[in-house]
Amino acid sequence: MTRKELLSDIQQRFKEDIIDFFDKSPKRVYIEIKPESIIPVGSYVFKNLKARLNIASGVDTPTHIEILYHFSIEYLNVLISLRVKLDKKKPSIDSLANVFKGVNWIEREMYEILGIEFKGHPELRRLLLSDEWPEGVYPLRRDYKEWDKKAIRDRGV
Amino acid sequence: MAKSVIPIGPFHPLQEEPEFFTLTVDGEMVVDIDVAIGYNHRGIEKLSEMKTFDQSTFLIERICGICSTSHPFAYTRAVEDIIPVEVPERAKYIRTIIAEGERIHSHLLWLALAGHFLGYNTVYMWVWKLREEILDVMEILSGNRNNYAMFKPGGVRRDIKAEDIPVVAKKIDSIIPTVNRLKKAILDDPVLHARLKGIGILTKEEALDYCALGPTSRASGVAKDVRKDAPYGAYDQVEWDMIVTENGDVWDKAVIRILETYESIKIVKHCLTNLPDGEIDLNIKDIPPGEGIGAHEAPRGETFHYVRSDGTNRPARHKVRAPTFMNLPTCKATVPGYTVSDATIILAAIDPCYCCTERVAVVDTKGKQMYNAQDLIRLSQEKTQSLKRKMGIK
Amino acid sequence: MKLPKVRELLEATKALLVGPYTSKFPKKPHVPHPNFRGQPIYNPDKCVGCLACVSVCPVEALDYEDITDPKNPRRVMIHYTDTCIFCGTCEAACIADNEGIKLSNEWNLAFLDRKQSQESIEKELQLCEICGEPVACKDHLKWIAERVGELSYSNPTLYFSRLKELGVIDENILAASRDYNRSDRMKILCARCRRETTLTTK
Repeated sequence: MTRKELLSDIQQRFKEDIIDFFDKSPKRVYIEIKPESIIPVGSYVFKNLKARLNIASGVDTPTHIEILYHFSIEYLNVLISLRVKLDKKKPSIDSLANVFKGVNWIEREMYEILGIEFKGHPELRRLLLSDEWPEGVYPLRRDYKEWDKKAIRDRGV
Repeated sequence: MAKSVIPIGPFHPLQEEPEFFTLTVDGEMVVDIDVAIGYNHRGIEKLSEMKTFDQSTFLIERICGICSTSHPFAYTRAVEDIIPVEVPERAKYIRTIIAEGERIHSHLLWLALAGHFLGYNTVYMWVWKLREEILDVMEILSGNRNNYAMFKPGGVRRDIKAEDIPVVAKKIDSIIPTVNRLKKAILDDPVLHARLKGIGILTKEEALDYCALGPTSRASGVAKDVRKDAPYGAYDQVEWDMIVTENGDVWDKAVIRILETYESIKIVKHCLTNLPDGEIDLNIKDIPPGEGIGAHEAPRGETFHYVRSDGTNRPARHKVRAPTFMNLPTCKATVPGYTVSDATIILAAIDPCYCCTERVAVVDTKGKQMYNAQDLIRLSQEKTQSLKRKMGIK
Repeated sequence: MKLPKVRELLEATKALLVGPYTSKFPKKPHVPHPNFRGQPIYNPDKCVGCLACVSVCPVEALDYEDITDPKNPRRVMIHYTDTCIFCGTCEAACIADNEGIKLSNEWNLAFLDRKQSQESIEKELQLCEICGEPVACKDHLKWIAERVGELSYSNPTLYFSRLKELGVIDENILAASRDYNRSDRMKILCARCRRETTLTTK
């Protein structure tokens, strides 16, 4: 399968799900999909196209909370980034962790630092933040304010 | 059936970050393992948003002490991907030399510590001595034994002087006989065979399922290497082989690292002799709004950076994915089914960085502290001794 | 079976003959390679006090303090050796031919009291002749004047700095120009006062 066939195949197969298709460069493709169709598209790319999940990265933009799932397809040297835009008030999306295990930790990480709920995740608990970190405070949100009054913030200590 | 829980951590003697392993054991056998990380969360992704693109390089460099070049390499590639630009040829070669030099010392470091945890301290001392030569090479090339501060978006900061090249090439050549001897000493050793073969097997399916990276996945027969799949730097202009083995046990992971050291030496030597002339820096002034992705095959696997710019001189979002983040969960597949004394080396086999040698507490079910870090290492070393006795080697 | 042991034995004998690989550090001083990146050191003669190094330092190890005492105005450039990561960005950014601050080979930086872990040099500061705020270091103004050459005669701050240094003008000449209208324009001024004297009539 060549790169062109692959891309037109994805476009044909998921006509309903794809919102935007951006062919940035020979090595990069950005596909924006509907949040509810992440499971079919994600598992198709992972299982049928034999892609490897590099990582998912969550971003808090002014209008949405965005997740980019970066899949690399080594035999074609293409990196496909699936973009989903979630509602800012209550971001939630289906979890891919039941499809393959590599996504387990990164979903836990996004859950705690951006407050995205992953529906159906087998063990949605904290990964990085400490236990005394308050509930509902997400460090990578734009409205994050320092909550720890006792933290020391001077030079070199 | 009585099952005991062995907590290892939060300061683990083998792991880069303080990590907390909970081993559920049935007698000697490990039946389940759980990992908790985050004891040393430094908030680097957040910090990076407060520094300029140029200053972030130094912050990123300090994510890991051992592979301190791989993160800036991936980061600078991500920033260059935003614009997008290609760095000058000479800069590409210098970057490759630094990255491969780092791979040599990182693999040697792993080998030394693996020897130490198995009670094979001769290897530990030999390798430590050998690694010193590589660190000297890095000092000559970059000015420091670690944290090289060579990378910047658009090129490199320091040039390699012509008069240094023969010195460095000689030093690199001088380590080959020692690595040869080391390779023989390790590959011949019957005790190491008995201790490492068939231990901690990660099958190919599991490696793909967990999206494992680097030597961890290549030992399981997954032929994936960013340097080959998506060539960058000078990797497409050098002849080198990707080392892939099939069994997925600790032995194969060790073999891969030894053989990769040779490939790295080959790449460094080729780059040093064929270093092209020209500029080393593009002097990038502005970063336009956009997104960039950079990857680099670090000694432990692919390092992945995602940078988003909003047109200011600071990143709007910077996502860092270190290879251990994907490799560590594989312990769920590799550790159960083996004994506690094997768990030490299996957890070490994914090559997490060994920065924090602090303490380990092994507790029985009633919660009494029984063993500390030394005891765990002793347990592992005793197993080697008993194996030796069984095989009739003194 | 026996081969590995023989190899180890050989290596051990060799090591016995050659002696220890490690250096005799405390007895013999350690001399790093000339390429080694050690502590950055200010060169008071070359440094012009432009603060380029302060603004690029990734760890804020460089700092400055302006002492606007009219008798002896000076700018103290501070380098905190404990925070410094020896990256060399300051040297690369230095406008004085990369010689105002330079990485040295000095590596022995241990200290007992953290307050001692700083070094500083002082540069003469030029104050605005109206408001008394700092304009720039005197050396920096001279450096700019030299760089722009004849064009510096479009800016009194620059050409006065330069001419004073050359000894072409002294206080008598300046005093003579005081009598003319809008004499404030013929002074060394900070950016804000320059704008006010040029654009407004007082």
